[in-house]
Amino acid sequence: MNGFLAVWRKELTGYFLSPAAYIVTIFFLIVMGAIFSLLVSVLAEGPAGVTVMNLLFGSPFFWMTMLALVPALTMRLFAEEKRSGTIETLMTAPVTDTAVVLAKFAGALSFYAFMWTPTLIYLFILRYFSADMAPPDPGPLAGGYLGALLIGMFYLSIGLFCSALTSNQIVAAITTFAAMLLLFLAGLLDYVARGDLVQAVSAHLSSYSHMLEFSRGAIDSRPVVYYLSGTALMLFATVKIVEARNWK
Amino acid sequence: MIEVSHLTKHYPGRVAVDDVSFAVSPGEIVGFLGPNGAGKSTTMRILAGYLPATGGVVRVADHDVAEEPIEVRRRIGYLPENCPLYGEMRVDEYLRFRARLKGVPRAKVPARIVEVKERCGIADVGNRIIGQLSKGYRQRVGLAETLVHDPDLLILDEPTIGLDPNQIRLVRGLIAELAERHTILLSTHILSEVEMTCKRVLIIHKGRIVASDTPDRLRRRMTGEASVIAEIAGPRGEVEPALRGISGVADVQAEGGDAWVRYMLRAPRDEDPRPAIAALAAQRGWPLRELHREAATLEDIFVNLTQTDEAEAQP
Repeated sequence: MNGFLAVWRKELTGYFLSPAAYIVTIFFLIVMGAIFSLLVSVLAEGPAGVTVMNLLFGSPFFWMTMLALVPALTMRLFAEEKRSGTIETLMTAPVTDTAVVLAKFAGALSFYAFMWTPTLIYLFILRYFSADMAPPDPGPLAGGYLGALLIGMFYLSIGLFCSALTSNQIVAAITTFAAMLLLFLAGLLDYVARGDLVQAVSAHLSSYSHMLEFSRGAIDSRPVVYYLSGTALMLFATVKIVEARNWK
Repeated sequence: MIEVSHLTKHYPGRVAVDDVSFAVSPGEIVGFLGPNGAGKSTTMRILAGYLPATGGVVRVADHDVAEEPIEVRRRIGYLPENCPLYGEMRVDEYLRFRARLKGVPRAKVPARIVEVKERCGIADVGNRIIGQLSKGYRQRVGLAETLVHDPDLLILDEPTIGLDPNQIRLVRGLIAELAERHTILLSTHILSEVEMTCKRVLIIHKGRIVASDTPDRLRRRMTGEASVIAEIAGPRGEVEPALRGISGVADVQAEGGDAWVRYMLRAPRDEDPRPAIAALAAQRGWPLRELHREAATLEDIFVNLTQTDEAEAQP
């Protein structure tokens, strides 16, 4: 447990020591800010047909940002340790491989959650500055942030896995991006493809429509199970990859 | 402290460590010597629990490395080759992280950090970013890190590689100090380092242990001829045959200018022709300005053991 906490803390503070993390955060907040300002201009025209959270989380801009941001957060995690050789000191410390993988994942997830916290200000702005608008419902609010957390977990775990595969951060980032894009586009087949089976599978994978549902306040158990089990699978695979040095 | 029996490690297509057995008792400081690629780093990585062995049993501090890796890791300080560190962290931060990772109780961490920094001579750089330190300082930060949980055993893989001569001397002095409290296994291919710091030498070649003894005894075990150097001013045509005439002298080679000629004599190790040479020079009135016997260095032993065929090199 000590080992887990030590690595988690090191990973989290590591983000605050690297300029890349600040750039990613600034980029993310600019995009979210732009989405929010669009949202405000939509609301200014009168009552809208969709919920506020739907506008915030359903935006294509949000998704493009997610796809760029996750690789930037995860590419370093294992690849950098392998490149610099510190993986050897890390793995010869009295800590299990599983604890290291979980701690790195927890570090990335904590930073991801930290990045989201400034967006809570938008809710206060909506609540206190829009005169004729009802405050955002707690359901869509909780659903939207839960969706962002669940999808973030799954994508970060994919990024962690890709980072464990290589000692090159660029390769890790590109593989993560490709894997996420593939999953994301597979989800969009729902809208464009013909054939019932393809559409049915695609609908289950579609993070885009999951997010729209979540931010409507409808928390379906199927996507929740999908993201949690997907995360567990990727973390398990990462532990196996880290252990794989033992198979050589 | 370390018991290695029949350790074998195969990499795809090659054998890195081949049936190696040795033991290190508590308090010993043992040098692990071998040419590049001999299997030093692989053996140390297995000892530290980073790589698993293909065969054989490795026990460190009474725990089996394969079965209780965490227990073993608690008791060792391992410094890998090239001393990898997190360049973006500050020295204190790094030591705190490693201390917590290695299970030093939170309350004891600050005191431990102060102590290891003091011992490694890095007390003044605690606030510096590791990536901006010189190689010598980084090496000492690495050493401080291996000590932070006060392990019984230190495994140091080439701790002085890439340092300048002054830094090598500092690190070597530090290792000698550490030897008072810890058991140390260190690898190197710098021979003088082993001669200066280690009580016992293990020479590994092509994955096998070819010698295990004190540097002194290894030197004595060297058989064959020794060379004697004599620098004499005298007519070369007369000196050379006269030197050949001394009993035990097998071969004489001369080199050098008009006045002073340098003679290299080969003689059996158990015979010393030096008194006879001195007497000869005095008797003939030839000035003699240098006369010494070249003792076999560890370097000779090393070359002898690692360049001949494996069969011949077996002790």
